[in-house]
Amino acid sequence: MPATPSPTAGDVVVETRNLAKVYRDFWGRSKKAALKPLDLEIRRGEIFGLLGPNGSGKTTTLKLLLGLIFPTSGEAFVFGRPATDVAKNERIGYLPEESYLYKFLDAEETLDFYGRLFGMPPEERARRAAALIEMVGLSRDRKRQLREYSKGMTRRIGVAQALINDPELVLLDEPTSGLDPIGTREMKDLIIDLKRRGKTVIMCSHLLADVEDVCDRIAVLHQGELKELGRVQDLLTVTGVTQFRAKGLSPEACEEVRAVLARHGASDIEVGHPTTTLEDLFLEVVRDTEARPGRRARNSAATTGPAGS
Amino acid sequence: MVLEQEIPRFADWIGPALLAFLLTAGIVILAIGLIAWLVQALVCGPLEAGDRVYRGVLTGLADLRATSPGRVWALARLAIQEAVRRNVLVVLAVFAVVVLFAGWFLDPTNVDPGRLYLGFMLGATNLLVCTVTLILAVFSLPADIKSKAIQTVTTKPVRTAEIVLGRFLGFALVGTGLLAVMGLAGWAFVVRSVNHTHELPAAAVQEVRDEDGNVAGFEGRTSPGRGHRHFVALDAEGRGVAETFHGHRHRITPRGSGADRSYDVGPPEGILEARRPLRGPLRFLDREGRPAEKGISVGAEWAYRQYIEGGTGAAAVWTFAGLRAEAYPEGLPLEMTIRVFRTYKGTITEGIHGTIQLRNPVNQLRSEAFPIVAREFTIDEFWIPRKLGTVLADGTVRAADLFTDFVADGRVEVWLQCLEPAQYYGVAQADFYLRAGEGSFAGNYAKGCLGAWFSMLIVTALGVMLSTFLSAPVALVAALSVLLIGQFREFIARLFASQVTGDATIAPGGGPIESLYRIVTQTSITLELDPTPAVQAMKLADTVLLAPMRVLAGLFPSLSALGTSDFVAGGFDIPGDLLAAHGLETLAYVAAFCVAGAFCLRAREVAS
Repeated sequence: MPATPSPTAGDVVVETRNLAKVYRDFWGRSKKAALKPLDLEIRRGEIFGLLGPNGSGKTTTLKLLLGLIFPTSGEAFVFGRPATDVAKNERIGYLPEESYLYKFLDAEETLDFYGRLFGMPPEERARRAAALIEMVGLSRDRKRQLREYSKGMTRRIGVAQALINDPELVLLDEPTSGLDPIGTREMKDLIIDLKRRGKTVIMCSHLLADVEDVCDRIAVLHQGELKELGRVQDLLTVTGVTQFRAKGLSPEACEEVRAVLARHGASDIEVGHPTTTLEDLFLEVVRDTEARPGRRARNSAATTGPAGS
Repeated sequence: MVLEQEIPRFADWIGPALLAFLLTAGIVILAIGLIAWLVQALVCGPLEAGDRVYRGVLTGLADLRATSPGRVWALARLAIQEAVRRNVLVVLAVFAVVVLFAGWFLDPTNVDPGRLYLGFMLGATNLLVCTVTLILAVFSLPADIKSKAIQTVTTKPVRTAEIVLGRFLGFALVGTGLLAVMGLAGWAFVVRSVNHTHELPAAAVQEVRDEDGNVAGFEGRTSPGRGHRHFVALDAEGRGVAETFHGHRHRITPRGSGADRSYDVGPPEGILEARRPLRGPLRFLDREGRPAEKGISVGAEWAYRQYIEGGTGAAAVWTFAGLRAEAYPEGLPLEMTIRVFRTYKGTITEGIHGTIQLRNPVNQLRSEAFPIVAREFTIDEFWIPRKLGTVLADGTVRAADLFTDFVADGRVEVWLQCLEPAQYYGVAQADFYLRAGEGSFAGNYAKGCLGAWFSMLIVTALGVMLSTFLSAPVALVAALSVLLIGQFREFIARLFASQVTGDATIAPGGGPIESLYRIVTQTSITLELDPTPAVQAMKLADTVLLAPMRVLAGLFPSLSALGTSDFVAGGFDIPGDLLAAHGLETLAYVAAFCVAGAFCLRAREVAS
């Protein structure tokens, strides 16, 4: 009989013990060790990131947690139930890597279908589907079959289906894959909003910025093995280096500060202007353009030099 | 109509059938459990393997119990939407083409157009519907697994049983809709195709006068139509029925009088019928008139019919039971199909003469002999009147009553003899019957479609089950193979019965080893082998081999055994007992395939 999860872990939503997966060929010969024994605990209300390059075992871990594949050894528990127990799926939402949906359905039919699988009454299905379609911005395309959708639109309806049951645990496989910067930002905002609403989110991605922006804790996998596990802030903090930020300093004041630091024995002193991210710049340009159609964005004009002046 | 086995009463059938089902299911479940344990034992050792198999079965059964009708319906709706949006309705256009070709190429001058059109339309409908649902069933789930859409379904609270049942239900509903449309269209096509009439102008009939010179009636021939014409014999008022030809007749009514008289020829009667026959057991007498175990074999490999020699004491005797005078106040309507084996050609355009005679089964009182002429390949009708003569011991004939003198305890014997020496009559039990009643042809046609529906349900469930663990093309080939093997199910059952009982007449030639021996030594299957120890050992080995084959054969559905279109095409009402047995057999196969499919899907990883 499988062991039951630790009773002390009341807030533990997901737990794995020595969870491993080896893919085998038809004759049972070992083909690839996709996941080496993994021990994890993911707690209620956190955003947990599985980070790693392609083929590192992120998606395999998600599939094992969902019961889509069976472990070669070890155990996985979700809400205290074995991962293969179908009943756990009542409280789960899952967005696969490519939003694998039925292309012959339209958006409304898609959400209605998945709502039916949760046994939702018709009125609730309709209300929830309308709200989710509105939320993911597909109101105008609700009657189009998914085969006509762009990749970004497919991703959005994929998110909607993952949230149709208002799940407590949301598993997102490469959630920003195929999205433009605006969609990426909206997705990240959505993930943060889910956390705000008390949901637990597990996402896997190889896009480091996305993980850094939203995750509370991450696990770094490489070649199927857990390499790092901890809070993002802790993992990224560079100890032994101090950073100051200030507004309105003159060049003279900067030199004075540098001299003070040198006097206190500081080394490798850098003084300069911080840069924004390309994502922030792009979003600002888009917002500005939407606010004042037909005019070149201010920041864009300011940063393009003589040609723009 | 050929009826190789007597149709048992449902009450008599259900007991042995249920026992066979439980036995087969039990053996198969044990065998699969053993295989699963062996495979797991190789991976994790015997004890852990036992635990895994036990838990797998328990959780699988729990999943079956937790099946939600709502989710099944959701998945069924999805299957219907998938079928419709993938243009499954195109099959209706294909059916329309089939109907067009049938209209162009089926021969309306055929001697039995009802059988021809009905057989074709029911066969085509059955084939098309089964093909479509099989293709839908085998391609759907593998396509979902390939496109990974199944992952968004299995990560919802959906049991594998619900996925299998939903797929089955959806495609079964699609098939039902198609069958309903095709059935109705086929019905309209058949009714229109066999419908025809003839002209009977006044000039085509001549007066028939009696001895006093009064007009006693009229006779003549209708105009040709559909490759035939009818002789007509009308009464003095000009009313009558055209002689039965090509299996039908026309009612004729006069219009006008004197020089303006003409005749209306009604629509054909007797083509689209649903006879309810009363059959009785058949026994044979040899040329000396002594009871014989069977008739004469004329060398036909298919021993369905036995033959009686003409001009001798040989006779075929049917005993009909349950006869009441109230049910047959006018007499007994006999119908028969008699085959003829000629040892010399004779007059080939004429039938072979014979007699029919009634006998009281208790006191052996004989009726007068009624002459008949056997016309092959058609159903001959013969009316035995209520008032008839009986032959006394001194050879004289006296008047007698059918029920008073020849029916004892509701039973009567009907003797058939061939009169022409060196010619033979070939008969089977089902060839000779009393026409006890009439069913509705429309109702019978619907029952024929119900038979096609049973086949479609089995094919769909089989396709869905195989698609849970095979890729689509492989599942399609596997399904076709299963259906093909199913055609041999009855033969394997007969072979096993033959081995166990030692009665070689049930399935001559023996089991696989004996058959191989006969092939190598070029020994005929009709030749009894000497019971040497080697032959005994061979037969024993065959019995041991055939036992598992007999069990396995039960797993393979026989669609031809489920088919009832022969009844409809032959003009016979499909017995309710047969339909009930087929319905229950279908239910058993569908349930078994769905449960097996649910377990197979549960045992596999739907993602990779």
